[in-house]
Amino acid sequence: MPVTHATGWGRTNFALSRSEQPESIGQLGDLVTSTKDDRGILAHGLRRSYGDSSLNSGGLSIGLENIASISIAPETGVATVGAGASIRSLEYKAREFNLFPPVVPGTGFVTIGGAIAADIHGKSHHVTGTFSSSVERIQLLLASGELVNLLPTGESASQFWATVGGLGLTGIITEADIRLRTIATPFVQVEETREPNLSRLLNALKSADSDFEHTVAWIDLSGDFRGRGVVGKGNYENHPHPSRNKQSDGLSFPNIGKVSLINPLTVRAFNEVWYRKPLASGKKSLSAFMHPLDGVQHWNRMYGNSGFFQYQFVVPDGNEDFIEGVLATMRDAKVASFLGVLKRFGAQSPAYLSFPKPGWTLAIDIPQGVKNLEAIFNSLDEELCRREGRIYLIKDARIRPEHVPVMYPRLNEWQKVRALMDPSNLWQSDQSRRLNLC
Amino acid sequence: MLNGFKSPQTIALIGSTSEIGQAILKHLPLENLSTCYLASRSPSPIVGISSKAAFVPIAFEATDTHSHEKFVQQLFSQGDLDLAIIAIGALGNDSTLSDEANALNAMQVNYVAASYIMALIAKKMVEQGHGRILVISSFAQTRPRNDNFAYGSTKAGLDFMARGLNEKLRGTGVSVCVLRPGFVRTRMTHGMVEAPFTVSAEVVGKVAASLIKSKKSVGYAPSILKPLALIFSLLPPAVFRKISQR
Ligand SMILES: Cc1cc2nc3c(=O)[nH]c(=O)nc-3n(C[C@H](O)[C@H](O)[C@H](O)COP(=O)(O)OP(=O)(O)OC[C@H]3O[C@@H](n4cnc5c(N)ncnc54)[C@H](O)[C@@H]3O)c2cc1C
Ligand SMILES: NC(=O)c1ccc[n+]([C@@H]2O[C@H](COP(=O)([O-])OP(=O)(O)OC[C@H]3O[C@@H](n4cnc5c(N)ncnc54)[C@H](OP(=O)(O)O)[C@@H]3O)[C@@H](O)[C@H]2O)c1
Repeated sequence: MPVTHATGWGRTNFALSRSEQPESIGQLGDLVTSTKDDRGILAHGLRRSYGDSSLNSGGLSIGLENIASISIAPETGVATVGAGASIRSLEYKAREFNLFPPVVPGTGFVTIGGAIAADIHGKSHHVTGTFSSSVERIQLLLASGELVNLLPTGESASQFWATVGGLGLTGIITEADIRLRTIATPFVQVEETREPNLSRLLNALKSADSDFEHTVAWIDLSGDFRGRGVVGKGNYENHPHPSRNKQSDGLSFPNIGKVSLINPLTVRAFNEVWYRKPLASGKKSLSAFMHPLDGVQHWNRMYGNSGFFQYQFVVPDGNEDFIEGVLATMRDAKVASFLGVLKRFGAQSPAYLSFPKPGWTLAIDIPQGVKNLEAIFNSLDEELCRREGRIYLIKDARIRPEHVPVMYPRLNEWQKVRALMDPSNLWQSDQSRRLNLC
Repeated sequence: MLNGFKSPQTIALIGSTSEIGQAILKHLPLENLSTCYLASRSPSPIVGISSKAAFVPIAFEATDTHSHEKFVQQLFSQGDLDLAIIAIGALGNDSTLSDEANALNAMQVNYVAASYIMALIAKKMVEQGHGRILVISSFAQTRPRNDNFAYGSTKAGLDFMARGLNEKLRGTGVSVCVLRPGFVRTRMTHGMVEAPFTVSAEVVGKVAASLIKSKKSVGYAPSILKPLALIFSLLPPAVFRKISQR
């Protein structure tokens, strides 16, 4: 069995594991039942999780890329999708029927398995909730080798909601039914506004939520750190237009080795240009609007070999001063962040470990190498715990295990359901070991 | 598990009363530390380290090799072990000709026990697919001198074993690094005449911490000893005899 070296998107955590890519669900089942290994098994998708959620050092890593069929029933608008299919391929297929997944993340290079296992959110969270809100059925391979269908309500509901956001630790998702929404055109009507400081930015984002299905703000985390930014808002365009269905591979960022192109100078220049750029308004293609960074593949390489962290948290309303505190901390630490994304979340999903909850979420990319960064993160985490906030586990590469039960108060309930589904602890990840999740 | 900063979550310090060992611990990144095993003959807590981690004393007698396998199992009982520091050592005073018992003890502790423990830990780490081991060798292993060759030979043996094991471990995610300190002011050398380039345990701790973080397999403390080791090994015997006289 080949041994491979894998890393998350942030290129900070690494793992050596045996790896397999079964050709069919049948082969996958045989592989799982024939594996007896203390280090267990973990499924992975496109490894767009940032830290060690998709890694299994010393154990078996199973890639689902060959289990990726997509079939759509136009009359019901439900897609039956192999867990290894990407959101991007589902989008393209769905558009043939004037359909679209109601929740999509910032990149299309995420598998259905990964989207469910992280209960991902998109710009539409305040309207649609998380990805799981459109999942009608999950087919799951249990540690026993049994293939089960899990539904959001009824007898299998607890297993369904433990698998949603369950970080691959309840079993291997093989297939799911996704309810799509109809779209009149493959376009979004977009508006942008420029806001000079944090309070204006928060207000603009808040008021945009009532008129737009998609809202997000880019925030400048370089320069004066006063929280200036650009709010982007969009609604699906309702007037039909001949659809263009072109899937391009776009550009690819070269591997640049040790050097990092991210430094305070380049970041400030970039942010300055971004803030001053002409504001968009009018029609934009769905994919360009939903996945702005997908034009350049492997852009994570621009951070060089030492990689970067994404610090994504959510805090409940009333904790706007925490966001201000984070900005001040970043300024004092002389962090230059190329990417700061702010959004308001709506209601919490029923999944035990789902990340979004009502309030504000901020995601910041920070290169490795900032002085005392580890201690800075830990003290921000402590403050987050006091404010009933939490870190997004799929982006995590470094939180301390004792913070997890505070941030995720339903961890204990999840652990009980999980233990029943996997009594022999077959499913393991580097993250589950690091954070004592199971 | 290491986190994204490559900071260890679980560490074992074997020879936890060692002044050099404790200094190494102090210079490591401890933000991610959850458990630190302190292994020694007389388990005792460690002072002067602020960390949220649990410090767990474990009894360890180097000469009792039959107990080592069980001892190593304990180090892995709570989950992965990220880093092991093997700091045990005994000075085999003088030479085999004047104090055989002392030399035998040095052989047992420095070579037999340290090598064996290192191999046992490496084997468990290979199963987990990652891990780093630091062993403390010595500058004394560079070339035999008439006053400390028994000690030097035990360190030369350990050093050889560690480098060989490190080669064998290539591609497993596990690695061993060897630290070669010169004369260090500690309990071990108390009362002895200091050699040139004598340093404190603190200096060694700092060098060791960066060696652990790096991908290197050999380090000297202080680092000036690296070129010196090369010169020492190339000198003609008569010249070496003359300059190594204290
Ligand atoms: C540029 C970029 C933008 C992003 N934007 C967003 C965003 O807007 N919103 C958001 O919520 N997230 C976002 N993410 C994060 C991303 O959506 C998640 O990390 C997602 O889980 C990645 O899916 P993947 O297929 O790459 O899975 P991997 O990273 O390979 O795995 C992630 C987790 O899913 C589990 N898993 C994968 N497949 C299966 C399966 N078949 N069965 C069981 N478990 C499985 C793995 O075990 C692991 O725990 C973004 C990431 C990047 C890089
Ligand atoms: N000091 C120097 O100049 C120097 C130079 C080069 C290399 N070194 C090496 O550095 C390492 C640390 O030395 P140090 O200077 O810190 O001296 P130290 O304080 O005397 O440390 C020696 C350690 O070895 C332990 N030990 C000795 N015999 C043992 C046994 N039978 N069973 C269990 N533990 C035993 C001691 O434990 P107890 O407390 O129970 O005795 C102590 O923890 C040693 O390997 C030494 O050879 C030292």
